[in-house]
Amino acid sequence: MTATSAPTQPVDRLAFKPGRVAQAIAFFSGTTGLVVKITLLALMSALAAWAAWVLADNGKWIAFVVLVASTGLILYLYLAPRSWTLPAKFLIPGTVFLLAFQVAPIIYTVSVAFTNYSTGHILSKPDAIDTIKVNSLEPPPNGRQYTMAPARDENGNLVLILRDDESGRYFVGTEEGAKPLPASDVTAESGGPITAAKGYTLVQGSELFALDKQLSSYTVPTVGDSAVRPQGIDTAVELRPTLRYVQRRDAFVRISDGTAFPDNGKGSFESAAGDELEPGWKTGVGFANFKRIFTDPTIRDPFVRVFVWTFVYATLTVLTTFTMGLFLAITLDKKGMRFQRTYRAILVIPWAIPAFLSILAWQGLLNDEFGVVNRILHLSIPWLFDPNWAKVSIILVSFWLGFPYFFLVSLGALQSIPGELIEAARVDGGGAWAVFRRVTLPLLLVAVSPLLVASFAFNFNNFSNIYLLTGGGPAQENSSIAGSTDILISYTYKLAIATGKGSDYGLACAVSVIIFFIVALIAGVGFWRSGALRMAQ
Amino acid sequence: MQISSKRLWSVLTTLAVALCALVVAAPALPKSSANTTVVIWTDHDRNAAVTKVAGDWASSRGVTVKVVEKTFGDIRDNLKTVAAADAPDVIVGAHDWTGELAANGLVVPLFPKKATLTQFPSYTLAAFSYGTAVKKLYGAPVAVENIGLVVNTKLAKVPTTFSQLESEALKFKNKKKGNLAIAVQQGANGDAYHMYPFFSGLGGYIFGKNSAGNLDPSDIGVANKVFLKNASLIDKWNKEGLINAKVDSTTAQNAFLKGQAAFWVTGPWNIDTIKKQGISFKVVQVPAVKQASVPFLGVQGFMVTKYAAEHGNDAAAKDLVASYMMTPAAQQILAAANNRYPANVQAGNKVSDPYLAQFGKAAKGGVPMPNIPQMNSVWQDLGSAWVKSTKGAGATKAAVAFRTAARNIAAKIG
Repeated sequence: MTATSAPTQPVDRLAFKPGRVAQAIAFFSGTTGLVVKITLLALMSALAAWAAWVLADNGKWIAFVVLVASTGLILYLYLAPRSWTLPAKFLIPGTVFLLAFQVAPIIYTVSVAFTNYSTGHILSKPDAIDTIKVNSLEPPPNGRQYTMAPARDENGNLVLILRDDESGRYFVGTEEGAKPLPASDVTAESGGPITAAKGYTLVQGSELFALDKQLSSYTVPTVGDSAVRPQGIDTAVELRPTLRYVQRRDAFVRISDGTAFPDNGKGSFESAAGDELEPGWKTGVGFANFKRIFTDPTIRDPFVRVFVWTFVYATLTVLTTFTMGLFLAITLDKKGMRFQRTYRAILVIPWAIPAFLSILAWQGLLNDEFGVVNRILHLSIPWLFDPNWAKVSIILVSFWLGFPYFFLVSLGALQSIPGELIEAARVDGGGAWAVFRRVTLPLLLVAVSPLLVASFAFNFNNFSNIYLLTGGGPAQENSSIAGSTDILISYTYKLAIATGKGSDYGLACAVSVIIFFIVALIAGVGFWRSGALRMAQ
Repeated sequence: MQISSKRLWSVLTTLAVALCALVVAAPALPKSSANTTVVIWTDHDRNAAVTKVAGDWASSRGVTVKVVEKTFGDIRDNLKTVAAADAPDVIVGAHDWTGELAANGLVVPLFPKKATLTQFPSYTLAAFSYGTAVKKLYGAPVAVENIGLVVNTKLAKVPTTFSQLESEALKFKNKKKGNLAIAVQQGANGDAYHMYPFFSGLGGYIFGKNSAGNLDPSDIGVANKVFLKNASLIDKWNKEGLINAKVDSTTAQNAFLKGQAAFWVTGPWNIDTIKKQGISFKVVQVPAVKQASVPFLGVQGFMVTKYAAEHGNDAAAKDLVASYMMTPAAQQILAAANNRYPANVQAGNKVSDPYLAQFGKAAKGGVPMPNIPQMNSVWQDLGSAWVKSTKGAGATKAAVAFRTAARNIAAKIG
């Protein structure tokens, strides 16, 4: 086979392809090439300069240094007159995209897998401490509310003109405390805003909003820990903290009873009794998420079942779509067939309709009491309500969505098989099946087998098919999280959004890492096998 | 010589173009502006109303607002990951986000005046309140929504008792093949929200309350004693076809609009659709099964994010949300934006749409959807229990299905 196929192909190509390549090289070598190069490099530099500005503005200095260094390196490689940079010129664009779109997300996912990133653990620790302080403020018993007007005294210091909403008495509040103000000194609409105060100039409009940070942290101490604090621009409320942060012990202390909430090392302040303060913060937790996957029965138990179904689903989908695609391709590959283009166009339709639409349509068609499928066929199959039939439905719909892809791929591959080979096999006395088995299929697989592996990996993680058709359902009789058609990735999604207190990204990333290794292993073996196939040719 | 000058030109041109690009781009770079600009995230339905109300507020205060439109659910999700510089000061949100957002420390407590608070039904305020020890208000309620029993008055009498509903619905169903008894949406994955009136009517509840009056995620009422005692009624409904899990949202809507269902359990978001079809209808609360069959209440409102303080917009944002948006006038505009009943009582009194008012009445005694983050663990299992026990032939016994659900939920909450 090798002996005969090898010479035939270059004959085809020699006719025009090298000419085009040479033309292209010639075209981009002269001034045009230089202009294209300068334009692209300039655009890149401009983008980098802009990004560097933003990074510097936000104080992200490590990223800044990396950005500047890598941009400098790229510019050097493309502009310096060195012959040793030539291979790098070809490698760099691919490498940059690989880093940006493949390696960076993987690194991020892996790094999140080792944290407690989840509901209640989003902020950094200093942010969490500030938020707990703010959240701990509450009105004391009989706490007062005031109508407020920020003003400046004769020295230009910020003060608050206050009217007690209950008693109607006026005060002037400073950081030292509140002093009564004679009602005759203040002009105000009754029950409404304060419009003037004798001896003070009210701060209004944009000047007031410019003082925001000063105003929101302004406190007018009253009794004990309590203080009047502005809320908005015309309201102030008496509030007191219920927790105090003790820097030295890195702990919050509840003021009423002295209960300590020390850092529990897992991203929360937690008392000895197990009460956690909210919010916590994002922190590293080592292998805790991975440990949970293998020890927590609610997560571990469905894992094996889901894994087996994922494998079955991906395998069956690839086999059925490939078989059907190949069959149709061979059928329509006949030369001189009428309406060939029309048939081909019709067959590609399932692929051309966005899957999001067609899957939802299938969901309606398969409804077992009101759907078209059962009504027309006079069946009463519980397509989506029975765990096993739901699996059949999933494979059926994936089949419908997937076969046009292999139809197109096979059609292309078939046309690249030299007709002489098949002719020769026929002459040697091979029947149609033998010719297909021994000539067409092996040659076809050379081109298609990497795509089979890729299709398997894609279906292994085909979230949208599952999620849109069955949502992973129907529920298993006894399993809590995974439904009967959940594959690993949809199961991961459910773990991430529907357990405990809501989102658990750390756990979901840990599962993703495990899935990554599974898929990498399967794809690796697959590609190695298909590579071996090619070597044998 | 020629080559090296070409190189030199390449280097110079590259740098020059980059410099020009930078000069052009520089004004667009984020920087702190002297003017106060309050950034609001809103969904599409409310965009126009928010723009109007916030715009009025802004011009009266001498500040500017920037309204950013997002998909409703994205508002909650993006707030968790947004960079501080792009973060909003104010968001529109649903009350059941409160727990998650507050537990994450992304929203700040509000302290509106007592005079303002008294204009709101207490459940609307409770809906936006959260705290493991002491509850605080994290949002200004604006609009309320709930489902009710929509009756096609040409096809059936408006029932006052559950047995009336049951007999009317079954009579209608048996009249013609293809008719539904009660069109209430479930589908293969269930819909615990739309089934809640039946759930509460049988004595079910989601979370109990602790001594402080806060929702207690360790007290799960999905399979409480009272409910389990009444659960055999679900098996009966399943057998006679009163409720059918195979009815999904599309089926339910089509059946009602085509006159193949006289009763539809749905919310105010479908008022316009029914009106367009020219159907004469009335909305009531689902009649009491064993207890009042109350719906879940949803409250929508506005919250101030923690980023407002970082942006120097804390006072402005709190003024807008806790004071301006809680006034009857603002509430009327904001609630009308997507055809909801306003939270503010005075604004509610001005509602003229009779159907909206009927939905308001159907809310009586309703339970705000639990706003603690543990609710995420409930929806799927509770919905599945209903599907398993009402999927017609081969259904699981309700008592078993709901007991399983309760066990699963407890395991997930941990």
